[in-house]
Amino acid sequence: MEIGPIWRAMMRNKTGAILIALQIAVTMAIMVNAISIMQEKDRMMSRPSGLDEHNLFSIASVGFAKDFNERVTIEEDLAALRAMPGIVNAIQSNAVPLSGSGWSMGLQTEPGAEIDGTGVGLYFVDEHGLDTYGVNLLAGENFSASDVAWRERAATEWPDKTIITRAMAEAMFPDDWASALGKTVYIADTQPITITGIVEKMQGSWPGWDGFERVMLVPTHTLFGATVYLIRTEPGMRDSVMPQVEELLADRNKDRIVRSMRSMDEIRERSYRSESSMIKILTFTIVLLIAITSLGIVGLASFSVNRRTRQIGTRRALGASKLVILRYFMTENFIISLGGVLLGAALTVGLNILMIETFSLTRITWYLVPVAMLLLLAVGQIAVFGPARRASSVPPAVATRTV
Amino acid sequence: MLSMQNISMVYRADLVETHALREFSLEVKEGEFVSVTGPSGSGKTTFLNIAGLLEQFTDGRYELDGRDVSALTDSECSAVRNEKIGFVFQSFNLIPDLNLFDNVDVPLRYRGFNSAERKRRIEKVLETVGLASRMKHLPSQLSGGQQQRVAIARALAGEPRFLLADEPTGNLDSQMALSVMELISEINRSGTTIIMVTHDPVLAEMASRNVHILDGRVSNGDQETTAEPLLSQVATA
Repeated sequence: MEIGPIWRAMMRNKTGAILIALQIAVTMAIMVNAISIMQEKDRMMSRPSGLDEHNLFSIASVGFAKDFNERVTIEEDLAALRAMPGIVNAIQSNAVPLSGSGWSMGLQTEPGAEIDGTGVGLYFVDEHGLDTYGVNLLAGENFSASDVAWRERAATEWPDKTIITRAMAEAMFPDDWASALGKTVYIADTQPITITGIVEKMQGSWPGWDGFERVMLVPTHTLFGATVYLIRTEPGMRDSVMPQVEELLADRNKDRIVRSMRSMDEIRERSYRSESSMIKILTFTIVLLIAITSLGIVGLASFSVNRRTRQIGTRRALGASKLVILRYFMTENFIISLGGVLLGAALTVGLNILMIETFSLTRITWYLVPVAMLLLLAVGQIAVFGPARRASSVPPAVATRTV
Repeated sequence: MLSMQNISMVYRADLVETHALREFSLEVKEGEFVSVTGPSGSGKTTFLNIAGLLEQFTDGRYELDGRDVSALTDSECSAVRNEKIGFVFQSFNLIPDLNLFDNVDVPLRYRGFNSAERKRRIEKVLETVGLASRMKHLPSQLSGGQQQRVAIARALAGEPRFLLADEPTGNLDSQMALSVMELISEINRSGTTIIMVTHDPVLAEMASRNVHILDGRVSNGDQETTAEPLLSQVATA
C-alpha cells in the first residue's frame, strides 16, 4: 500500500482534502445527533399505552338544545352502545388518552395546601372503565356501579375511591409501589381518596408530559354539556362499527351533535404527528447531508483525477496496473474520510454535550458513533469509486503526450 | 532483444484514418544504443509508445526479450513495463507532490520490493545521478537537468533490460543536455539497451545506430553512427 507517499503528497496539497474531511466531520456530527433525536422520538412513540388500541374509538357528544337532558342521554347512549352487536364495552369519560386534551390533578400522601402533590392525569369512568380500556388490573378491585357518582362542572367534591396506574403508585410510594393499595391519599389538598386498585399501564392525555404514565381513574359520570364516549369493539370490527355508532347516536337524540369520531390509531397518529414529522425531516436532512458530502467527494476526486491525468499516465507507464490506480484513489479518499470521521467523532460528542445542556436531550447511544464512522467511510468509498475508475482508465500513452 | 516485424498502427476517428506506422520493422540487439529520428508527425512517438507497451498496435508482430507481446493483457503489459523497461520522458514527468526519494520509489513499489530493498536501490541510483544529497527535495526545487537526472534514476532503479528515452534533452539547455546525454551514454556502456527518440541530429549521432522514420516507415535503413566525436562537438557547442 502507498499510504506513506499518498499522505505526504496530500499534505503538500491539502486544502481540498481538509475541506472534505471537515464536511464529513460536520455531516457525521449532525447525522449522529439527528439519529439520536430520532431514536428518542421513536422510543416516545413506541411506548405501549396499555389499552386495546386497535379496537378502541371515541366519539364526542355535545348537547345544544335548551331542554337537553344530559344525564338521561348519557345513560341511554351507554345502554344502547353496550347492547350493540360488535361492541365489547363503552364508557363516558372526560377525555381520551393521548388526545392532547384532558384533566390533571395532584395527589399527596398527607393533607395540606402547603404540601406538593404528585401530578396525575385523571379520567372519569364508571365500572365499565377497565374493560373498555382493556387495561390489566394488577391489584385491588374494579369500581362497582354504586361507586359511580354524577358530577356537575362546578362541583368540588370527589369520590372516596380511585384506581391508579403502577407508575403513579411508584411515584407516590417509591419504596414499595404495591403498598399503595388501600392507602388513603389526598386530592384537592385535603379530600381523602382511597386507592382501591392498581392497573399495570395507562397513559394520560399529553405524550410530552413527564408524568404521562401517571394516571388515576375516578368513578364519576360528568355532566359538563359536552362529553366523549370511548368504545371498545370485538377484534377486527372497529371500522365497521364506527359508522353504525355515529348513526345510532345521531338518530337517538336530535338535541345534540355528534362529532370528532376517531379511532385510537388515528388519535395516536395525531398525537405524535409532530414527532413523526420531525423524524421525517431529520431523515431527509441526513440523506441530503450524505448526498452533499458524496457529491463533494466526487467533485474533489474528479478534480484530482483531471489535474493528475499526466501523472496517472506516468504511473501507468512505470508499471501501475489499472487496479493499482483505482486503489490509489480509493486509499487517498479513505485517508481523507478517516480523518473526517475521527474529527467527526469528537464533534459528535461535543455537539451532543451541547444539546444535552441546551435542550435537555438524551446522550447518544454509544454504538451510533462507530456505525456512523463505518457508514461514512463506506459512502466515501462508493462516492470515489466512479472518479477512481475513470482514473484507472487513463491510458499509459498519456505519459508521452506533450500537450 | 527487441524485434518488430511489419508493425502497423492506424488511428481511427470517425471517418478519418491516420496511419502512424506502416509495416514498420526494426531489430535492436542487446546493449545497443539506437537513436530514432524523424520530423514531427513521422511516427516517432507512436513507435516509442508501441515499443514501451504504452499502446497496442493494429497489425504486425512484436517480440520483446524473446517474448511475443502482441496479445498481452493490460495488466501483463504493466508488469512487463515495470520489470523490463525504463522510461525517460521529455517533460521528466516527475510527480510534483513527491520528493525525489518517493519519486524514484514509485516503480519499485509496483514491483513489490520490500522497503529495505527499495531504499537500497533508491540511494544507489540517486548516488549514480549525483543527487543522493537531495533526496528529500521536491522536483520544483531542482533545475531541469537535475529533474531529468531524477527521472533517469527512476527509470534505472528497477534495473530494466532497456531504456526508452523520449526527447530526453528536449526541455534542457545545451549544458544540461550534454550532462544528461553523458549519463545516458554511460548507462549504455554499463550494458543497458537504449532507444532514444529525438529530432536533434547531433544528439542522434551520439547513438551507435540511427533509425530515421518518415511517414511511419524506416527511411534510412539502419545507419551506424560515430558517437564519440559528436559527443565532443556537443561539449564544445
